[in-house]
Amino acid sequence: MIAVLRSEVHRSLTVRSGWISMAAIVLLGLTFGWFSVDFWSLLAELGAFAIAVMNTGQHYQHRTAVLLYLGQPRRLTALAAQALAAVVLATAVAVASGLAVLVTGAAHQFRSTLAVVPLMALYGVFNATVVRRPTWLFIGYAGWFIFIEGLVGKLELPLPISSFLKAGGGDYHSLLIFAGWTALAMVAAIVAVHRDLTSD
Amino acid sequence: MIQALALTKTYGQVRAVNEATFTASPGRVTGFLGLNGSGKTTTLRMLLGLIRATSGQALIKNRRYRDLKHPLRQVGAVLEQGLSHPGQTGRAHLATQALLARVDRSRVDPLLDRVGLAHAADRRTGDYSLGMRQRLSVATALLGDPEILVLDEPANGLDPEGVAWLRQLLRDHADAGGTVLISSHLLAELAQLIDDVVIIAGGRVVRESSLAELSAGGGRRLRVRGRDPRRLWYAFQDAGADVTTDGHALEVSGLSPEDVGEIAFHARVPLYELSSEAPNLEKVFLDLVSDR
Repeated sequence: MIAVLRSEVHRSLTVRSGWISMAAIVLLGLTFGWFSVDFWSLLAELGAFAIAVMNTGQHYQHRTAVLLYLGQPRRLTALAAQALAAVVLATAVAVASGLAVLVTGAAHQFRSTLAVVPLMALYGVFNATVVRRPTWLFIGYAGWFIFIEGLVGKLELPLPISSFLKAGGGDYHSLLIFAGWTALAMVAAIVAVHRDLTSD
Repeated sequence: MIQALALTKTYGQVRAVNEATFTASPGRVTGFLGLNGSGKTTTLRMLLGLIRATSGQALIKNRRYRDLKHPLRQVGAVLEQGLSHPGQTGRAHLATQALLARVDRSRVDPLLDRVGLAHAADRRTGDYSLGMRQRLSVATALLGDPEILVLDEPANGLDPEGVAWLRQLLRDHADAGGTVLISSHLLAELAQLIDDVVIIAGGRVVRESSLAELSAGGGRRLRVRGRDPRRLWYAFQDAGADVTTDGHALEVSGLSPEDVGEIAFHARVPLYELSSEAPNLEKVFLDLVSDR
């Protein structure tokens, strides 16, 4: 587990697009955190989701999942390590990007956002394990957000995106709902991670 | 040692691999041969735990792959064409793999040198040629200094120099006591390297033998040219030989060179040419797989 964790973190920090994206999130957060803590919250939460999806999904996209599972053939262990790596990276990025928010005195929002970020990272890893294609996932969630949660649910229904948006603002009940969605995604990922890795 | 015991994989109604049973032994290079779509890759992936077998067992050192302790230090695999993240440099890729395999990262640079990629160590692998990516795959497989190597069509993308380099590397590995299982759809490509051969067709193993046995089974042919080919043809046929012609000379199988010389002498036909042709392994292979 530790070997996979170290390997995953090293990989994320040495893939150029990966560290550039994380650096960009930190810079954006530091810049806009001065003006809007809500913007920073959204950025940190969506950033956590994106980091997790990219780190996990790219393994399937570039076929390096083969190398991962050759190194750790017990796939649940590999999944747990990937989840932990995403949590570590996403939390580190959120903390670094939120320093400006802390300076402005919005400590409560900082804490509530940091409660959501690890869950978002886990949610991203589990979703990417099921879907295996980052682009499909992003497009799918964009459509889901606009049509289902936005137009139909008016962001009031206890659905994943609506829940994490409210949780980031300190809504404890919404945080629990989002944790439930994450648990559901985890169950799906535990099943999906055992799928065959064919040569496509 | 690698053992496939009645390995079977079905996709719906289709049996991609059907009770494949074979062994790859230490100290030997085993060629795993079959036409495209015959089930080679699926079988190798079942051996490595990447695809779940519908039934049967795949054992490496008498254990399932997932039960091996530190698997990358026991088995090195070259699968597909150059697996790496295109945004990572060759050196970073190997360092990531070293962490995964729990091997010392000091092995990375010597390995890059060994596979001829030292000059490209800091280039992103997305900028590598296909041959360079294959060399990086070989370096990845060797990172844990494993005793067993499993390679799926590793010569794809390599230039002739690269193929010769790989052949020597695998030969040295087997000579040092390692086990090498290498797949290909071209027997001629492997004939200079392998000791044993496993031929798969339509998902079934149709032949498992040493290369020497396969060669002997192919039969030796004689090329014969004389003043009166027609009379020679009949004389050889009367002696029980199979005779064909390429338009220039007779191709005779089932007779020794001594027999041919004697028969031609008794038929009073002067010979202009009598040569022995090595068995055409490719033809033997194609005959085996085309029967299915």
